[in-house]
Amino acid sequence: MEYLPNWKVPSMLSIMESSSVQQNPDDPRSVLAVADQARQRLAAGLRLPTGLHPALAAAVAVQLGTAAYGIANHAAAGLVVALAGVAVFLGVAALSLHQFRRINGVRVDGLASQIVLGAGATSTMAYVGAFGAAAWAAFESRWWLVVAAAVAGGVGYAFGSLRWWHAYRHDPAAHAGGASPRVLATLAVLACLGLVTLLVAG
Amino acid sequence: MAELDPLIHAPARLQVVTTLSAVSEAEFATLRAVLKVSDSVLSKHVSALAEAGYVHSRKGVRAGRRTTWIGLTKAGREALREHVAALRQLIDRVN
Repeated sequence: MEYLPNWKVPSMLSIMESSSVQQNPDDPRSVLAVADQARQRLAAGLRLPTGLHPALAAAVAVQLGTAAYGIANHAAAGLVVALAGVAVFLGVAALSLHQFRRINGVRVDGLASQIVLGAGATSTMAYVGAFGAAAWAAFESRWWLVVAAAVAGGVGYAFGSLRWWHAYRHDPAAHAGGASPRVLATLAVLACLGLVTLLVAG
Repeated sequence: MAELDPLIHAPARLQVVTTLSAVSEAEFATLRAVLKVSDSVLSKHVSALAEAGYVHSRKGVRAGRRTTWIGLTKAGREALREHVAALRQLIDRVN
């Protein structure tokens, strides 16, 4: 803009900055409303990867089922199966988060926490309840019950994630935060170590 | 009592930080599209906010293209919270 006279630059920038929504810069209510609308516009435009919740439900079900089998089976094969289940879950979670970021051009740590950690109450309760039931069923060799508990846990976990998504769309600022990627990676490693310890000690 | 923050008092800058509060990080192009501003205007605001420590930016790659990712810092979130509280107090006083 070197060719423009100085007095023209502020007015030009002002025009470029103007939003399609009418606002009065002297009215705090209007200024806040326009800023909130911009935030809602971003949140409303975000899309989840296709099939995210079914894939998440399946991955959690696989992880639960293999973990229950691994705990009940005190052989090396059990450990391998349990670790394979964890790998499937982490692979699906990582791919889903990568796709979300690629599709939308944003990163939301709250979503990562929901998918990887099942941070919501619904997901946590579904996971813990299903894990307990599946482990008990595996020790009793009731394999149909292991599968049923794992599927129920997966569906509950995905449902919790879906509930969080609706809450986020309603109030994005309140739900955007979550564990950072570094914390998530650390927790994932700790979970793997814990599982290995449990299997080896068992 | 909360105080207005002169750095984010300008409506366009308030929109930048408010929009960023919905995410952990946003790509420069995504932010530009949502706010409907030009590259140069957004770049100017982001630079000013980064200088004050309200936002951080980092280079990244998306679909093979080099991109810039921008996110609010803890100080930026706190500044936004204070500023919005001050604006609401002003509104209440008028009412």
